[in-house]
Amino acid sequence: MTRMDFLLIAPELWVVTMTCVILFVDLFLKEERRAIVYLLAMVTLVFAAIITLRFDYGGDPTASAFAFNGSFVRDQMGDMLKLFSYFVLAMVFIYAKFFLRQSRMFRADFYTLSLEALLGIMLLISANNLVMVYLGLELLALASYTLVAYDRDSAKGSEAAMKYFVLGSMASGILLYGMSMIYGATGTLDLVAISEAVRVSGSDDIMLVFGLVFLVVGLAFKFGAVPFHMWVPDVYEGAPVSTTLFISSVPKMAAFAMAFRLLQTGLGDLQSDWMQMLSLLAVLSIVFGNLAAIAQTNIKRMLAYSTIGHMGFVLMGLLPGTAESYGAGMFYVIVYALMSAAAFGMVIMLSARGVEAENLDDFKGLNRRNSWYAAIMAMVMFSMAGVPVFVGFFAKWLVIQAALNAGLVWLAIIAVVFSVIGAFYYIRVVKLMYFDEPITEAPIDAPVDFRAAISLNGVIMLGLGIFSGSLIQICMSSFGA
Amino acid sequence: MPIYEIVFYTFSLVMLASAVAVISVRNPVYAALFLVLTFFSASAIWMLLEVEFLAIILILVYVGAVMVLFLFVVMMLDINVEPLREGFIRYLPVGLVVAGLMAAEFLLVIWTKSRFGPEAFPSPPPHPEGYSNTQAVGEVLYTNYLLPFEVAGIILLVAIIAAVTLTLRHRSGAHRQNPSRQVQVQRDERVRLVKMKPEPRQEG
Amino acid sequence: MLAEYFPVLIFIVISLVLGAVLLLTGGILGKLLGHSQPDDEKASPYECGFEAFEDTRSKFDVRYYLVAILFIIFDLEIAFFIPWALVLDELGTVGLVAMFIFVIELVIGFIWLWKKGALEWE
Repeated sequence: MTRMDFLLIAPELWVVTMTCVILFVDLFLKEERRAIVYLLAMVTLVFAAIITLRFDYGGDPTASAFAFNGSFVRDQMGDMLKLFSYFVLAMVFIYAKFFLRQSRMFRADFYTLSLEALLGIMLLISANNLVMVYLGLELLALASYTLVAYDRDSAKGSEAAMKYFVLGSMASGILLYGMSMIYGATGTLDLVAISEAVRVSGSDDIMLVFGLVFLVVGLAFKFGAVPFHMWVPDVYEGAPVSTTLFISSVPKMAAFAMAFRLLQTGLGDLQSDWMQMLSLLAVLSIVFGNLAAIAQTNIKRMLAYSTIGHMGFVLMGLLPGTAESYGAGMFYVIVYALMSAAAFGMVIMLSARGVEAENLDDFKGLNRRNSWYAAIMAMVMFSMAGVPVFVGFFAKWLVIQAALNAGLVWLAIIAVVFSVIGAFYYIRVVKLMYFDEPITEAPIDAPVDFRAAISLNGVIMLGLGIFSGSLIQICMSSFGA
Repeated sequence: MPIYEIVFYTFSLVMLASAVAVISVRNPVYAALFLVLTFFSASAIWMLLEVEFLAIILILVYVGAVMVLFLFVVMMLDINVEPLREGFIRYLPVGLVVAGLMAAEFLLVIWTKSRFGPEAFPSPPPHPEGYSNTQAVGEVLYTNYLLPFEVAGIILLVAIIAAVTLTLRHRSGAHRQNPSRQVQVQRDERVRLVKMKPEPRQEG
Repeated sequence: MLAEYFPVLIFIVISLVLGAVLLLTGGILGKLLGHSQPDDEKASPYECGFEAFEDTRSKFDVRYYLVAILFIIFDLEIAFFIPWALVLDELGTVGLVAMFIFVIELVIGFIWLWKKGALEWE
């Protein structure tokens, strides 16, 4: 343990300290001054970003620094994902405050649990040994289960939490089983040491491959990739929308980092083995996610299936195993988190007095009620569909290009065909907003910070699309492409 | 040492049998008790592997705490368990097919003796005299694995927050006794002297 | 090492045998010596002569479970103390600080839940 160790882990230390501070501040706050909790949570995120940015790599984007005997790693990929986690979580906090206030659930627990989940995400992003991966994941999962059951009086929410909990623990168990086999085969928990051991034994070691299978199954559960996606629609639908907003956006970035660390850093030499498994998962997710989303009338469910489709693309970015493809996958997952936050933010905006605007019909005639919000939603939907100029297009394009460069033509064709099919249900939302009669004329009202955040989030869809170069550059350079 | 083998096979047999019993007995209380037996046998097998710390923790935490909570829930919960078991026969064929497939896959892998047999994984050299597994755990847990250790503490903290968040509700209108208030009460707070004009005596 | 635990094994065997013997003798002697003629009325459950009002299983206040869960969490903490206590000499200050932080984490939780009123019974 040196000073360096603590310097490297400073953002995590800051977040955990502030979480405890918020816990205690809340105990002494009166009901009407609860907003202080929210402010403290935002301050936490801002300073976490500053602390993360203050670390200097000396100009080499692929350099990494290790702490605590190699169980913790800082590199540019991790820092970028963390920074975007803070940013998206700040958006989530702003949107959620409005919803929680309206539905009389504005308690400090939401913020403390979300920050604990953020801590799990940060540790997961920086985990460099199997135990840390597992612990980060459990920290994130435990906080997420509780957030899903946040509305204690909702039977649907409790059911969703129960499903999430049972399936999530099973996935953790499977992941742990895989990890134990990998430990058995290599005799070490450190991912770097594992990769050295794997280089020697290769895919000849049947136990290693066996462990890999369980590892991939556990990962697929966490990603919500078909055929391990059963929990996604039910949890997204049953959870209060403030929670859905959170679990659909920030943790996906952690899932990407976790997959990268486990598969590339640890088991990079088994790439030919896990590529086959991931391509099966990716194809099934893209096909099934996009097809099932068409049949939905509930927007939370629709977005859940759309998540499954998007996760298929992220997996597609991971599977060729080239620096270029990892960069594309990282860009995709960041863009997806931003899009998802904006989409659920719009759902919150239309939720009047705590009644969630769950149905697609709630979006009917939005243009007539408020043309700016309709425009934001349209931008988000176009971006998700992958219409050119919007940022979602570049994300899809990069991933598909990386797959083509790796010689996976069939995969690229399937991805293109099904994103065109998927565009149907996104564009249907746009059609509902612009060409249908509104079912209610109630004015849409939201506090000024909410309006500012959602506007920014919507503009990012277009702005990041036009000026996507630098972010793509950063993502690519993190992997040395 | 034949006694080693005898103990190993006895406890393995008990463990397998009780694990099967956990999922097949009708009464959930019996199932929970069989789970205790499974944990206990597993602990005995771990003891044979000379991991005394884990073996004792398994008894202490799982049997001593977790299973007590399990039993508590199962015995107190107002659930009629019979309907939950409906469809057991109906889904049995599918389940058997899946289980059979999985078993076959496992066997296919394990059967390749050269890769998975005792030859591929020779038993580790025996521990020196005076070796303590608990000590070995302690030596790495608080140094090499310091960060995971502290994160485990955070997870326990989150578990506390989660449990309280999900279950605690303050009942409104519940009357509470506050002994320190009761003791500190002043005369002025309870008795009020009111000055009033004497009322004329009513004749009646 | 295993030899040290041999008495435990003997203890297990003796208690098993003893349990089996007692159970069997009780059962067999009872069958042989006693006479039982159960009928529907005798075998039915009763509450002081009344018909049973309700099922044994009934809804319990969730607080019981809360206390039980909190017990498990703090019970787990003990598990971390055992190896720590054994090697504290070798670990020195580092070990002391490590455990201090760990305990602080849980004490924060404990103070929080106390202040929150999770241990109060109303």
